[in-house]
Order: sequence, then structure tokens, then C-alpha cells
Amino acid sequence: MPVEMSSRRSSSRISDEEISELISKLQSLLPESRRRSMSRASAAKLLKETCSYIKSLHREVDDLSDRLSDLMSTMDSGSPQAEIIRSILRS
Amino acid sequence: MLSRTHFIYISACVAAFSPSCLLSFSVAAMQVTEAFKHAFLKQMLLGFQASAVSTNSMGFQERKNAIKLSADVAMAVARGSRKWTRGLIAGLSEEQQNRSFLQLILGEQYERRLMKPCYSSWKIPRCRKIVRRSLRVCCRRQKKKKNQSGVLARTLVEKRTQQLKRLVPGGESMDGFSLLDETLDYVLSLRAQVDLMQSLLTTVESSKLRSHSKRTLPERKASYVGK
Repeated sequence: MPVEMSSRRSSSRISDEEISELISKLQSLLPESRRRSMSRASAAKLLKETCSYIKSLHREVDDLSDRLSDLMSTMDSGSPQAEIIRSILRS
Repeated sequence: MLSRTHFIYISACVAAFSPSCLLSFSVAAMQVTEAFKHAFLKQMLLGFQASAVSTNSMGFQERKNAIKLSADVAMAVARGSRKWTRGLIAGLSEEQQNRSFLQLILGEQYERRLMKPCYSSWKIPRCRKIVRRSLRVCCRRQKKKKNQSGVLARTLVEKRTQQLKRLVPGGESMDGFSLLDETLDYVLSLRAQVDLMQSLLTTVESSKLRSHSKRTLPERKASYVGK
């Protein structure tokens, strides 16, 4: 049975194995295109790629906020809200 | 019987072949469940209502900021209690303009979040040592370098770590292990936020198209009659 991470943290010594796990998880999190350029995972490269990935996700959120703002500016207040509620209830 | 490391490694390999799929470890890692999606969208909607984004009186930038604020709060609420979610809310409440919104949306929860002491900040003196040790494991995998470049590599890791700390909410006061752990969780949540905002956009777009086409269709027919 896999062990909860929180119980590990209560002991002062965090094993190298646990750290390697985290690092490999982080690496597999990065999208394909970024991962390809990282044939050997140096710590600095992994951190750099993670940082730039987070920044690109922030930009995406910003762009989507722009588009939503645009869209909602030309809306009559009644129907779209209802549509959103309906889609949430449907999913 | 599979050891935990094997399980993680296999799952990671599976995840590697599906770039857009989210990691689905059974334990501590975050999962984008239906419950998460519902919580996020519901919070977004509440946020929109609270800041009245659908009224025409708002300027573009103001509305955009309100949408972004709703999205971030929705992400933090849907995720629940993590170091980064607390850091995110704390960061947002540093700005005066956000406070009434946060109060409205989070209510009692907001008071409690603010009251919660930041235990992790006590770890700051140990920080650098732990970060260096935890990332040395990675450095060991590299080919042997000269002493100078070894020092350079550690400094670069240090520099990148500082960058990551600034990007992850609440990161400044996290130790090496927490930072990596929270980063993982935060990235998964960010991806979910992007996906959900995209689907919201699509939904609103298509509902607009439908209501627009319903209105213009009779007019179009009329213009053909003349020919």
C-alpha cells in the first residue's frame, strides 16, 4: 500500500529515494516538446524547464481571461449565465 | 509485489506517452476529478456574479482582472488546503482591492485562512541547506565535472530554485522537498485551470452563436426573397 507523503515528512530525514521520485514525477509532468531537449536530467535544466512551463501556463490563463472578458462584454445578462449553469449541471 | 518506486516509475512512463494526460497516482498527487471540475466552475460562476462581470458598465481591463481573480480563487478553493493554495490566497489579499471580493466569496473561510500562522516560515534558516542537499541527488547523476563547474552548477541550481520559489505561490518560505512537492501539485492545478477556462470559453462562445443565429435567421431569409 503506498504511503502517505505527510507521514514521511514527520521524520526529519527525507530519503534520496523520495527526492528522486519527486524529481521524476516533475520531469514527466513537462510537456513532450520540452522533455525532448532534456536527454539527461540535470537539476538546473529541470528547474529551468519547470519555471518556463509555469510561466507559459500563466500566459495561457491571462490570454483566456482576455478572451472571456471580450466575450462577456457583449452579452445580455440573462441567457449566457443560464447556459453556463446548464452546462455545469450537464457535465 | 511492486515497490512504491516501481509503481511511480511505471505510472510516470505511462504518463510520458500521453502528453496532455494528468498523472493519476493513487496517493498524494492531485487528480482532476469531476468533483474538482464542479467546484472550480461553481466558484468561477460565483466569482463572476460577485464581481458582476456580465454587466456592461465594466471596462475591459476591470472585467479581465475580475475574471482572473475568480479563476485563481476558484482553483485554490477547488484544490483545498495546500501550501500553495494558502500562499495564493494570502498573496491575493495583500492587495486592498481584492479583499472585499475575497471576503464575499470565501466568507468565514477567509478569516480562518488569514489567522492560520505560517509555520513553514520558521524553516527559512534551514532552507538553503535542504535545497542544496535535495537537489544534489540530481547533480550526482551528471557526468563528472571539474570542481569549478561543479560549484557553478550548484549556483545555477540555487538561482533556478529561487526563480521557482517566486513562481509557486507561498514558495518563498518552502524547504526543498515541499517546494518540489507543491510545484507538482500547482502545475497540475494550473493545467486544470487552463482546460476548464477553455471549456467555459467554448461553452459561452457556442451559446452566443446559437442565440445570435436564432435572431438573424429570419432576416437572412427575407433578403433572399427579393431575388
